[in-house]
Amino acid sequence: MKHLIPEFEKLKRRYPAGFESSLVLPCLHRIQDDRGYVADEDVDGLCAWLGVPRIQVEEVLSYYTMFRRSPVGRWHVQVCRNVSCSMRGAERLIGHVCRRLGVEPGTTTADGRFTVSTVECLGSCGTAPVMVVNEAYHENMDAAKADALLEGLK
Amino acid sequence: MPGRALLMDFAVTPTSHRLADYRARGGYDALRKVLGTMKPEQVTKEVAASGILGHGGAAFPAGRKWQVIHLDDGQPHYLCANADEGEPGTFKDRWILEHAPHRLVESMAIAAYALQVRHAFVYIRGEFDLPYRRLQAAVDEAYEAGLLGERILGTDFSMDLVVHRGAGSYVCGEASGLLTSIEGRKGYPRNRPPRLTVKGLYQRPTVVNNVETLSNLSAILAMGADAFRRIGTPKSPGTQLVSISGHVARPGVYEVEFGYPVAKFIHEDCGGVLGGRALKCIVPGGISTKVLTGEEIAEVTYDHASFAKAGSGLGSGGMIVVAEGTCMVRLLQVMVRFYHHESCGQCTPCREGMGWMHRLVDGIVEGRGRPGDLERMELIAMANDGTTICGMGDACGYAVTGILAKYRDEFEHWIAQGRSKFDGRLEIGEPEAALA
Amino acid sequence: MPEIFIDGVAVAAKDGQTVMEAARDAGVYIPGFCWHPQLSVAGNCRLCMVEVEGETGGWMDIACNMPATRGMKVLTNSPRVRERRKVMLEMVLLNHPVDCGVCDKAGECMLQDYHYEHNGAPSVSTVPKVRATKFHDLSSRILLDNERCVLCSRCVRFTREVSRSHALGIVARGDHSLVRCDEKRSLDDDPYSDNVVDICPVGALLSRRFLYKSRVWYLQKTPSVCPGCERGCTIDLWHRKAEWRLNALDARHNTAIERVTPRENPAVNGPWICNKARDLPDLLERARAEGPMLKGRRVAMAEALAAARQLVEAARRPVALVSSWGSNEELAAAHAALAGRFRCHVKADHAPRPGERLADDLLIRPDKNPNGRRARELFGEAPPALEGADLVLAWGEGFDFADVPRGARTILLNAFLAPENGHADAFFATTLQTERAGHYTNFAGTVSAFTPICPAAPHTVDAEAVFAALAVRPRVSA
Repeated sequence: MKHLIPEFEKLKRRYPAGFESSLVLPCLHRIQDDRGYVADEDVDGLCAWLGVPRIQVEEVLSYYTMFRRSPVGRWHVQVCRNVSCSMRGAERLIGHVCRRLGVEPGTTTADGRFTVSTVECLGSCGTAPVMVVNEAYHENMDAAKADALLEGLK
Repeated sequence: MPGRALLMDFAVTPTSHRLADYRARGGYDALRKVLGTMKPEQVTKEVAASGILGHGGAAFPAGRKWQVIHLDDGQPHYLCANADEGEPGTFKDRWILEHAPHRLVESMAIAAYALQVRHAFVYIRGEFDLPYRRLQAAVDEAYEAGLLGERILGTDFSMDLVVHRGAGSYVCGEASGLLTSIEGRKGYPRNRPPRLTVKGLYQRPTVVNNVETLSNLSAILAMGADAFRRIGTPKSPGTQLVSISGHVARPGVYEVEFGYPVAKFIHEDCGGVLGGRALKCIVPGGISTKVLTGEEIAEVTYDHASFAKAGSGLGSGGMIVVAEGTCMVRLLQVMVRFYHHESCGQCTPCREGMGWMHRLVDGIVEGRGRPGDLERMELIAMANDGTTICGMGDACGYAVTGILAKYRDEFEHWIAQGRSKFDGRLEIGEPEAALA
Repeated sequence: MPEIFIDGVAVAAKDGQTVMEAARDAGVYIPGFCWHPQLSVAGNCRLCMVEVEGETGGWMDIACNMPATRGMKVLTNSPRVRERRKVMLEMVLLNHPVDCGVCDKAGECMLQDYHYEHNGAPSVSTVPKVRATKFHDLSSRILLDNERCVLCSRCVRFTREVSRSHALGIVARGDHSLVRCDEKRSLDDDPYSDNVVDICPVGALLSRRFLYKSRVWYLQKTPSVCPGCERGCTIDLWHRKAEWRLNALDARHNTAIERVTPRENPAVNGPWICNKARDLPDLLERARAEGPMLKGRRVAMAEALAAARQLVEAARRPVALVSSWGSNEELAAAHAALAGRFRCHVKADHAPRPGERLADDLLIRPDKNPNGRRARELFGEAPPALEGADLVLAWGEGFDFADVPRGARTILLNAFLAPENGHADAFFATTLQTERAGHYTNFAGTVSAFTPICPAAPHTVDAEAVFAALAVRPRVSA
């Protein structure tokens, strides 16, 4: 995380002075982009740099669903299963993706390539069902499109 | 188009979200007019006179919220755009962020001037990757062009705009939870009093407005409050971006002028119910609003008064269309699973009630339903009615009591027979496909 | 001073008070878990809902966050309020294990009391309870039962606002939220940690010292003063009630200090104490000196007193080292009996222990003796010096025989068993603070009283009695 401090310093200048605690979320996002997850040493480094109590960062990491404290597969496949997506076939899609990859939701394939998660509403209800692979939205999905998409991910 | 358009007044092209295109459409003229010719108080007065209501769900008059801020109180004020769009069925703000980010930026500069704000924030939900990149690019363009930052457009007015990403929490869409999140903590909502306009971000007076509400400002200031009021209805002036999804032929975001007939909107503008089925009901404004049956909406127009009369609300403008034959027990199951997942756990009735509600509905769906379960669900709804810090518990209660009031027989059927009154699916299509 | 009406009775609320505070001041009890007079308002338990009468049918909100405003008509026990309380307790109890039978908090648990008073019915829930961690170690001193926890956040706010260790937080969300300690630390780093056990409204935070030691209704509390430092925090010593005296088990249980809790005292310690006070049993229940001795030989009290008196009479340059653990009464007796005859110095009986926090701006003070101020007022500030002494009278602990000048005789008063007790020419086993009444004067001059919890140990003597016996008039030559 230390190599990101120059970037964090730049970020800090955008926020009103004296409210370093506001940098917790943006810094954690950046750390996770960098490492793939937030490691213990990142938490230590961030707390030391920001001067916030460690427990505050631990609370944040455990509260927000997007933060991870351990690595996921190379491709993190998240399928929405909320109302509109379910109405457009998400439940079937989740079953299909899991069967194809041989995993249960919330787990990673043995080769470490894919982690499949179910999520609640990604704000893509008009193009349901939606799958997010890493950060990219893939909309109006069905089994065939999911197959094609997964096939292309190495 | 369902009425006149204020926000979706241009054709989306690969460059329509960029500064050059926006300026070619007259973008930032309103900001120039405001900074050049108006005093901050005049701007607030104009916004109040427009009668615009909040588009985030609570429909509170934006002008009245602004008028609480004392410009000469000697303390910093903050402005936050709520772009934590997370209400299931709602994706209208995403449209603005992706396609008209400069409209938000310009409008926020106008609002910041009116409220004498130096630091303004856009709190955008963490999952919104493309919208975030589009908005951040727009902010960067605006800084580059002297439309944000020091001495905007050569005037004495300076402001900074920070795009702050959330990280996956529905509750952060509640204004005080949003501010707590910007402060770098869990998004626990706060008790009122104090109101956020008295003690908000960093304990300073703060205005939090929805993205769409703010985005209307450049139009209001450009055309004037009187012209704005001539759009929509007297009590609901303007338009609403409606995101429509579910069992509808043409889902998407539509700009609907207040007062437009709902049935016409669904059946003509959106192509009607998917697969030509009959309309069972709609969830009118995100899952936290009470469902309205096909018959109930026959005469309803798209405005606050008409929906209130019908016993529901416009909420966040996220309409979900439900086709005849859909199992409402399963629909409610998905809804309460969401509330359980998103309950922050701060206050008792929601923390305990959401899980209980979820387990009760799961129990019914798994064939373990018992007599009294529906009364238990109503008890939980009652326990949450007006008792929670942020109102999320209330919202779940509305969803539950709304559906139970109209489709109680489906629940009783499942409890008694151990299976759905229909095929137990939410998806429309061939049952074989579900088994495949 | 806004006048408000609570259940129809006019109450003068102080400016800035909430309805909760105004009600408590007026003697009206509004139930609540999360509200605590010394902590910020969290408003999360939602039990203190009250009804405010209004022209449009009134409204309900939580009393702990409701500013008292002039003319406000509050109902704390209306049918709507009672209905809300009942259903809120249903929610609180939903995932609670209801294991009062094995819970140390039973008998002083707010949840028990509230449920008894405001609900009383079995749960209507039919779904399994959420399971959570039991016996989670927060520190070597404190266990956490997450199933019993009502997530009121009192303990979290305590570590943020009072002890400022920022050790505790609530992780995860929803009905899986858990109170947890900072992963890299334990609550042991917080010398005030045990206060969270007291302020926990339920049996979630448990003191290991007290774990399964006693049902609280078998205990009584006796006011006392912590001798751990010159703050002199007022405390309660909890010990077995006489009517519940044990006959079959170890008789020591009948006199033991089962636990120590703060006795609220705005002038000294507010509602808090540090962990050192919790550990007083370790200090006060050490092995006791067995009785009077002359050079290690047990003798009768009269013989020891006579021998000591002879030593005093024979001495030409006697020096007394006065205990800073003596009570005001003992110090006065020592002053009356010894000051004219002895050169007197105040001795620090206890020095800070290795690793002990020396001082902070909450309670802990640098002098680890309870009555140094009063002792110095009587006997002066001069540090102990034994040069030239031919008799040393040492009272209390913290005395080293190596400091005694060659050939000088010694009289020692000590309550505890120690090998050097036998080195003294005359030795007296004295009584403890828990065996007699008295007062300490703290660093700021505030006097606090302690009272005995048990009779004096056999063969011990009050220091005052020894001093009275040694009161000899100054020699003519002096």
